[in-house]
This record gives sequence, structure tokens and C-alpha cells, in this order.
Amino acid sequence: MNIYLTQPATREMVKPRRTARAAFSRKKKKINVKPYLFLTPAVLMLIWWVYKPMLGTLRYSLYDWSMVPGTEAVYVGLSNFKKLLTNKDFGTAVINTGVYILGMLPFSVILPVFLSVATQGLQDKVKKLYRAFFFVPMIMAPVAVSTIFQWLLHPSNGLINHLLQTAGITANNISFFSDERFARLMIILISGWKMLGFATLMFSSALSGIDRQYYEAAALDGAGKFRSFFHITLTMISPTVMMMIMMSVLFSSQWSMAYIDVLTQGGPYGTSTNIYYLMYKYAFKDMNVGVCAAAAGLFMLVFVILAMLLQKLSSKVAFYDN
Amino acid sequence: MKKTALNAGRHFLLLLLSFIAIFPLYWMVVSSLKGEGEIFNYSFLPEHFQLTNYLYAFQEMPILRMLGNSLLNSTIQMSLQLLTAVMVAYALMRWEFKGKALIYSLLTLTWLIPFQAIMIPNYVQINEWKLNGTLAAIILPNMVSAFACLSMYQSFQSFPRALIEAALIDGGGELAILTRVVLPTMKAGIASLGIMLFITSWNDYMWPMLVVRNLENAPIQIGLKSFVSSDVNLWGSLMAATTVSCLPIFILYLLLQRNIVDSFMKWGIK
Repeated sequence: MNIYLTQPATREMVKPRRTARAAFSRKKKKINVKPYLFLTPAVLMLIWWVYKPMLGTLRYSLYDWSMVPGTEAVYVGLSNFKKLLTNKDFGTAVINTGVYILGMLPFSVILPVFLSVATQGLQDKVKKLYRAFFFVPMIMAPVAVSTIFQWLLHPSNGLINHLLQTAGITANNISFFSDERFARLMIILISGWKMLGFATLMFSSALSGIDRQYYEAAALDGAGKFRSFFHITLTMISPTVMMMIMMSVLFSSQWSMAYIDVLTQGGPYGTSTNIYYLMYKYAFKDMNVGVCAAAAGLFMLVFVILAMLLQKLSSKVAFYDN
Repeated sequence: MKKTALNAGRHFLLLLLSFIAIFPLYWMVVSSLKGEGEIFNYSFLPEHFQLTNYLYAFQEMPILRMLGNSLLNSTIQMSLQLLTAVMVAYALMRWEFKGKALIYSLLTLTWLIPFQAIMIPNYVQINEWKLNGTLAAIILPNMVSAFACLSMYQSFQSFPRALIEAALIDGGGELAILTRVVLPTMKAGIASLGIMLFITSWNDYMWPMLVVRNLENAPIQIGLKSFVSSDVNLWGSLMAATTVSCLPIFILYLLLQRNIVDSFMKWGIK
């Protein structure tokens, strides 16, 4: 590629291009290949490792296959979708996906907005110190986070159970990850723990961008704290709010996946599984490629629709201060 | 008076948040340093600091080897992703050309394709090439990050075009312009994106899980996972192994804390 792009070639191609608008006669036909050369590696690999496999998955959704080498995938039409919709875990997984998405919003949007507003106005130096601390969960690996919480929440030897019992809140050892009442909640809390600090920082930085004059003007007009919060603060940070909602809705099921895999494997009785983990299970535990692919195709569609709706909502709600 | 009370309230909230964020890690380190008798007694500081847990963890698992694998894997992924992203960003910034909008949507639409929608064909592909269990299997599908390309393009857009025009008049080739004019100016942005890509691939779990075959060639996350599921009740050693697995990222964080926080906030997460 070096040879291609060294001086002589470049001069020939670039210099005329600068006057191309005026003198288009000869050069117009000559396509500038350079941008394509720069783009080729990335585009080829995206096509090979993302778009082609995505189409492959859509194709598999019409086939029955167990991934065993040497066996052929058999065309079965839409029966995978039928199998999927009648699968007993599917309903729970769909509901749980919704629960995880909703359960994540307090940690990615609601609490962070209040925390950032409540802590607004501190000196920058002090803030920097705090932010160094509460950013830490964000850089932690999901597997490491899982093992730590597994230990903290251990039924008989975990610190949390010990504290709960010392405080007299419960008399029994709670198996947080194998008790139907707690497993799902724990996954939400752990995903939330990882998200909270980061989201708070995002809103803090959005808040610090608000022009103080708005508040002064509102105060002159006799607006109280609450009114200026709803009318000014929320309006001004609405782009960040919408962005965080969007990320949270689209990705929270992905974020919780590693915790589910390490901590509960979707159990007990499938109560903590979500749709993405279920796909993983269909493919690599049940060796049922077709059903996994059907679920993947279906939910890609669902999330695309969700994304479009959110995009629409965001262009309606979000206010940009220019 | 009112102001001090308000400030105290703020500090309390922030301290609480910091405590919630840090305490699990503190508990991890403390537990890893406790001896067998002490680990179950909930003290917040070990009476006798012991390294036996670490010795055991290092004995049971090829931890150093796995750390090396992770380091190699993350460094290669980061470098390739940065390289391809720089090329894409340069092309998009530098020229108007046919298909630019198509390329741009090709990049942004990856956002909507979850890992689960591509994992089976990629897994089959890796198997077909008999790369299962190798480092290459982990790296190959991650050579390009659409996220990195878009973020890089975003920061390249602020590059003053006049500088490129000037370099053209001086007679530089495209590669020379990119490496001598553009990259030096963009160093900080590229570095911060690089840190983020490094951490992301260090922490990656689902894909390596599918293609790793033995611990010798596994990144540390997979090793840790296998230690969890081995179902022994050795919490001290598990916490020791977890601490070791986080150590490189912690060191990076201590050194580059401000950069890391800034880059995550600038680029968002994915």
C-alpha cells in the first residue's frame, strides 16, 4: 500500500481534484480509489465477521441442525419459530428480559439523575476525587464482579447473610442465587452496581454544561427549586437522559448475561434467564442451532423496533441548547 | 449554616456512593489475605496477613500464563482495532466519495446486531478453520470494532482541514499526511480510545468462552470462570485469583485514572 500512496501517484490524483469542480472534463470519469483502499480492511472484516454471520443466523432459523461436524442442516421451514414460541422457558425469558430492562432504568437513569443533581455544585477538585472512586465498577470484568458477589452473598459464609442475621432481619441463610425470590433481583442489583457510578458521572458532566443564567433568570421570575429542576435541569439534560435510556434498554440484557452465566445459569427453574442467555443455551447446551437462530432473528427485529421508537421519542423530547 | 449542612449532605451521599462502589473490592482483597481459619469470621482486617491463598491459586492454575494470554490478546485486539479505525476515520474525513453514506450506515447498524445473532456462524467458521483453542480464534472476529471506527471518525472530524491542504501543497502522500500531520495531533484521543478498547477486550468473556479449549491458552477471565465452577469451597483462593485477574486493570487505572474516566465518558459504552 505504501507504494500506491507515495508522492507521484498522489500528486497526479490530488492536484487536479482540487480544481475538479471547475474543470471536470477529464477527471470526472476517474474514480478516486484511495478512500476505498483505506476502508477495505475494516469493511471486509465487518462483512465477514458481522454481516455475513448475521445473514447466516437468519438462514439457520429455517434449518434444523445440531452443529455436529459432518452432519447436514435440514430445511424445516418455520417450525423452529413454532418450537420457540411453545418452549416453556421462552415466555419466562421474554418477561425477564422486560424485567431486566425496567429494573436497570433506576440504576442507569433515575438514581443517577438525582444523585448528580444532589451533588452538583461541589468544587471540581473534590469531585474528581469522588469520581475516581465510583467509576471503579465500570472497569471491572463481569466475571470478577460475579465471583466477588458470589462470595459476599454466599448462603452460609457470606458477609451479607451474616450482617442480615446480626441485624435480626432474617434468621435463615438466604441462598440469593438459588432462591426463586432473589435470583433475578440479585442479577439486577449487580448490573446496577456496575452502572450507577458511570451513569451519575454522565449526568454530572451534562449538568455542568448548563448555563447558570437560566437558573438566575428563573429565580428572578420567582421559580422555586422544584420548578427550576423540572423546567430547566431536566430539559437541559434531556439528550443525555434519552441516550442513557436508549443504551440501557438496548444493552441491559447483554450486560447481565455474564452474571447470569456465572452466578445462576439462568436458574433456579429458569427464573433468572433472559432472552440472550436462553439463545446461548439453545445453541451451546441444547445444541439446537435452529431455535437459537429463530430467537436471535425475532429479537433482533424487536430491538430494532424498540430502537426506532426510542429514536423517535428522543427527537421529540430531547432539547438541544444551541 | 444552611450551606454547610447542604455540603455535608452532599459529601455524605458521595461517600456512600464511593463506599458502595469500592467495598466489594475491599472485601475481595481482604478475604484473599486471610488464612483458612480467619476467612469465615467476617473481620474487616485480617489479623495475620497471609499469602497462602495466592500460592494455592498459582499452584492450581497457570495464572501467569493466562495473564500473558490476556495481555497478548488485548494488546493485539487494541492495536488492530485502532489501526483499522484510524484508516476508516481518515478516509471518511478526508474524501467525499460514492458509497460514503453506505459505509457509515454499515458501521452504525452493527450497533443493532447483538453478539447472539452472529455467534453460531462465527463459531462454525472458527471450527472449520480448525482454530479452536488458539489465541487467533479469539482475535479474528475482533480485528475491527465498528464502535472504534465511529468514535475515531468523531474525533477526526475536529481536525482542521487547512492543515491537510497545506500538507498537500508541500507534496506529501496520503500515508505521510496521515502519519505525520494527522496522527500527532490526534494522539491524545487515539490513546484514550485505545485504553478503552484494551479494557473492553481484557474483560471480554462470552466469545472467548466459546472458542477456548484448555486453560493453557485461555485468557484470565476464562480461567477465573473455570475456577468458580470447579465448585471447591476455597473462597480465599478464589478471591486471590480474582484480585490477580483485576490487578493489571487496576494498575492501569491508578496510572491513567483521569484519562480512563474521560475516555469512557467521551465514548460512551458498548
